[in-house]
Amino acid sequence: MMRRALSIIMAMAMCLGAGAADGSASGSSEVVRPVMSAYMLRMGSSHLTDTYLTPLKYSGWSMGFGYERMQAMKFDPVRWVMQMRAGIDVDRTHNPSGNAVMWYWGADFSWSMMRRWRMTEGLTVGGGGMASADLGCIYAPRNGNNPASAKASVTVGVTGYAAWTGKVGLVSMTLRYQPSIPVLGAFFAPDYGELYYEIYLGNYSGLAHCAWWKNYFNMKNLLTADIHFGATSLRLGYLGNILSTKVNDVTSNLFTHSFIIGVSGEWLSINRRHGLSNDARIISAIY
Amino acid sequence: MRKILAIFVLLSVLSSCHGVDEYSNDVKGNFECLWDILDRHYCFFAEKNVDWEAVRQKYAAKINDGMTREELFNVCSAMLEELRDGHTNLSAPFATSYYRKWWSDYPQNYDARLIEQYYFNFNYRSLGAFTYGILPENIGYIHYSTFAVGLGEGNIDYILNYFNLAQALIIDVRDNGGGDLTNVDDLVCRFVKERTLMGYIIHKTGPGHDDFSEPFAYYCDPIGGGHFAWRKPVVVITNRSTYSAANNFVSIMKLLPGVTIVGATTGGGSGMPYSSELPIGWGVRFSACPILDANGNPTEFGVEPTPGCEVDMDPMDALNGHDTILDFAINLIVGMNEV
Repeated sequence: MMRRALSIIMAMAMCLGAGAADGSASGSSEVVRPVMSAYMLRMGSSHLTDTYLTPLKYSGWSMGFGYERMQAMKFDPVRWVMQMRAGIDVDRTHNPSGNAVMWYWGADFSWSMMRRWRMTEGLTVGGGGMASADLGCIYAPRNGNNPASAKASVTVGVTGYAAWTGKVGLVSMTLRYQPSIPVLGAFFAPDYGELYYEIYLGNYSGLAHCAWWKNYFNMKNLLTADIHFGATSLRLGYLGNILSTKVNDVTSNLFTHSFIIGVSGEWLSINRRHGLSNDARIISAIY
Repeated sequence: MRKILAIFVLLSVLSSCHGVDEYSNDVKGNFECLWDILDRHYCFFAEKNVDWEAVRQKYAAKINDGMTREELFNVCSAMLEELRDGHTNLSAPFATSYYRKWWSDYPQNYDARLIEQYYFNFNYRSLGAFTYGILPENIGYIHYSTFAVGLGEGNIDYILNYFNLAQALIIDVRDNGGGDLTNVDDLVCRFVKERTLMGYIIHKTGPGHDDFSEPFAYYCDPIGGGHFAWRKPVVVITNRSTYSAANNFVSIMKLLPGVTIVGATTGGGSGMPYSSELPIGWGVRFSACPILDANGNPTEFGVEPTPGCEVDMDPMDALNGHDTILDFAINLIVGMNEV
């Protein structure tokens, strides 16, 4: 059965320069679009405030796991690229006096589509739209009837990146900075003093709010360095996440700064019978 | 490119707009934090005719930077006592403040040993927070000590089935200080024949003292699925220490047909408590979401017994092995059946 599998997944070297897009993908040559995948562990600091639970600011650690996938788009692989990102996080924080704990558990998913431009040899910038969904919960075990503050949102926004590929000394690497920020959407928040028990009883009115920058600000700043070692790369980086909401006189802030370590690589799916034609054009996901 | 970066920097700065009030961890900061929390969230200022600003001035004059933690705790506790609310507490590592006059100014009207010894000769059953048995007059008796402990549907089925041949049921919630409202629903659903309005819940919509939502009606559906329901007379026995969720239970049962409330006015406690904390690390709890009965009336000051059924325990009866209130309930049921 395995032999009948249409494709094999093989790791490809980053093919630096080999797949450089230098123009239109039109023509008779076969276009191959490798998938850039990355698996990342995140560790860092977390700062939580949620006035539904407490007026105090909590600080502690944050851990998470993230997955990223980028690929040139089929309809115009030179100019357009898509990106999917997903992650889970857990934060554990303490109040200033150190006698109470507050947790955050969250999951996020986003899909974006970006137009990209090759600025100079090795430097690419891109920008476009993004759709995101976030789900999470801040949990304060010391509280009785108001122990948790649920977070849920669906948004559309903008994202962009600048990526440079080249050599630093003898090491080839890809550096990238990518900010992303939702612009509009909807998010969940109970009323000022509304207990979740009332929601449990069936009062669902007023829970959904239109999200925009005044009441919902969520910005992710991603900085990565993919250090290439043949087929795969070591990814080191930084992720700064700002989630700040204010609605119904309740303010909720979640700030995390995380160091990233992971593996990444560009992967090709090749038909075993037909192989890869000699004139195939490999169009990288990032540059 | 520079413009794009400038926009993102600007947005980062704007994000700090969602700031929160910060309090210093000193005597004044903790006092102000406590006062503010109550000022913004407490729900019974109007019902209790409390001028919270005047309270602030009164107690702010009593604090100074040289106070010990215990002295600060005492001043803050005294300030919270002004609310006359059993749901309002300040919790420090060495003590929890507690307003007691809602029950200490009234007769206790309950002695568990009296019933266990003289009515059951210590031959009764216990299950979780339930103590139950059949009285000589063929009346089922349940004492439910706390709504913090619930029972499974099968357990309640077993108890009601045990009383299957009894002529009536007495549910004694004296000294029941409350607990989980979902346990109230689990019990009430055995006594309603159809979807029944249980009451209304209100929450604050903002920090102002009068910022309240419209009352939200909530209902109880009768138990189904082959579980036991009770259709015979019910007497609920109360005292002043029947509080919070137990007070809510009584307010619901009182409006059901075939149910009589006997004993003393309950202790109240109809505001669902909210939790918060001070920079010093002390926890604070207070009434935040009022619950009204099915007629839309507040029950913060208690639920009165059915007219004509207000009874206190007579100490002389108790010395002779009689619970005056339980005797009244038994006689009421026997009288019903004689009619």
